[in-house]
Amino acid sequence: MAELEYGGEKIIGPGRADDDVLRLEHISKRFGATQALRDVNVHLRKGEVLALLGDNGAGKSTLIKILSGFHKPDGGTMWLKGGAYTPKNVDDARRQGIDTVFQDLALVDELSVFHNLFLHRERLYSPLPFLNNRVMRREARKRLDEIGINIPSLDVPVARLSGGQRQAIAVARAIASESEIILLDEPLAAMGAKEGAMILDLIARLKAETSISMILILHNYAHVFASCDRVSLIQNGVVSFDRPTAETSPDELNEIVVEEYRRARAAAQGQLTS
Amino acid sequence: MESSTSPPASTGPSTPTTGPASRRSRAGAGLSPLKRFLTLREGSIVVVTIITFVYFAATTPHFLTGANFKTLLPYFAPFAIIAAGQVFVMTLGEIDLSIGAMYLWTPFLFWKLVTSAHFPLVLAVIVSLIVAALLGAVSGYLIAYIGIPSFVTTLGMLFVLDGVTLIVSHSEQVTTPGTSVTHVGTFASILGGGTYSELIWAIGIVIVLQALLSSTRWGLYTVAVGSNKIGSAEAGIHTKLVIVRNFMLCATTAGFVGLLEAIRTSTASPDPSGSNTVLLQAIAAVIIGGTLMTGGAGTVVGALIGALFLGILNDGLVIKGVNANYEDLYLGLAILIAMLVNIYIARVRKGAGRG
Repeated sequence: MAELEYGGEKIIGPGRADDDVLRLEHISKRFGATQALRDVNVHLRKGEVLALLGDNGAGKSTLIKILSGFHKPDGGTMWLKGGAYTPKNVDDARRQGIDTVFQDLALVDELSVFHNLFLHRERLYSPLPFLNNRVMRREARKRLDEIGINIPSLDVPVARLSGGQRQAIAVARAIASESEIILLDEPLAAMGAKEGAMILDLIARLKAETSISMILILHNYAHVFASCDRVSLIQNGVVSFDRPTAETSPDELNEIVVEEYRRARAAAQGQLTS
Repeated sequence: MESSTSPPASTGPSTPTTGPASRRSRAGAGLSPLKRFLTLREGSIVVVTIITFVYFAATTPHFLTGANFKTLLPYFAPFAIIAAGQVFVMTLGEIDLSIGAMYLWTPFLFWKLVTSAHFPLVLAVIVSLIVAALLGAVSGYLIAYIGIPSFVTTLGMLFVLDGVTLIVSHSEQVTTPGTSVTHVGTFASILGGGTYSELIWAIGIVIVLQALLSSTRWGLYTVAVGSNKIGSAEAGIHTKLVIVRNFMLCATTAGFVGLLEAIRTSTASPDPSGSNTVLLQAIAAVIIGGTLMTGGAGTVVGALIGALFLGILNDGLVIKGVNANYEDLYLGLAILIAMLVNIYIARVRKGAGRG
């Protein structure tokens, strides 16, 4: 990827690889007075796990929500497997092969594990409009077994499950839709080490056993280097750093972030004194 | 950071559970039949209703008679239908305050269609119900698409419909078309005039709507939107459509009950205070029946039993010869006690269902 300089600022330019499944170029998005994304360039290779890092409000979640069809970009272009990608909504994105596990997991607390797994993809006794719970329960068990997730009862409301189990169900739901690209918004947020390890284990298994490509929003460098092939850093609405994890280190990432804080602090003080 | 919730069982990632072994630990298994019954959402109100029934049967000689059963019906059947529609709105975490006004207004629309526009009776009924559904769609649109809280939207709709009713009727009682005081024809006997007509409609509608709520996408999405609206939208559910159609359903049932009652009594009275009582009793039936006011869980059958409870209470107090001035007081206290028992049993349910 080309590193470009725009008025002293470092911005990663559009990059590509032969086996890309997804490419985003010059994506911008504004919410009222806030320019959430200015000029974002990201690409994702087949089977690759890409970590998205960045400060709160840097634009990570906005980018994920654009990819997932929840928001529309103001500018820029997106390609999915060589064709133009302009998802009309979340359903449309899913149909095209991109599924998202949002930070709030989009689980319905009051519904059972298997109803959540099949939410908006219910099996019916067609042509009758009734839910075929038997088939959904059986397929849910099979799918969870396949990815090695142990949920004792599929009939309990998901409200009763632990954070890790809930995350696993949300991931299982994304996989079940046979998506080729899965976006995970902070999959390890608010989770203990043991539960986090279970999710990282799940991601590693998906990487080893499937050709699913993943974009993960993460905060913890240990997680980034444990599970990701490449890391992109979003700062202030642009991607400012992009490198394979094998070619960088937690120290280098730390330095960039510390530098960002130093600049932000200087700017804040400048505002206070002027 | 440690996660605060403890997993109910081992979550080892490398030990897939086999199907049959896991099925044993389904919620509610291993409990006594009584406890398992109480873990049903409707369980508690069933118990409360039976206790009330037994009390009146034991203390009042005239309570357990066929004649009294017929007296009881209008105290209960209309509320069961109107509450069934409200369950769909309250499961969303919303409320429809305009059901009483819809109940009041629809018979006058029906009367106007027949007397002024010369519609045939059946067509007039159909058109009246369609108008009720469309008015529900207006409320639903304002709530789902514009974002006005349902409490305010339907409060506005309540006064609009009350007002229109007073204007159209010139504040005067009218005779319901298709009915006569001396003779009950086929039309009237099917639509509320027959002794068991309302009961049959109530049971039929409750069965259909309970099936809709618990066994179809419509119902599943109603629970989903009521429990987690943003999450439902992220899962791809068209949440606004779910809201609009539930308000349409609720308005339609309210309008239908208005017609049944107007036909049963052969008259329609433009009395907003009476219709407000209908509204409050219907909401009471829904809540007593076990539907959460906060949304995410609801039961049509529960609302039917809630309506039955209120009907038995109303009727029982009348038969016992309770001084009319005390009736509301007892009714209010009974509702509060029923809710307390409900909540207590719900705690048992939560405790029992875990893991």
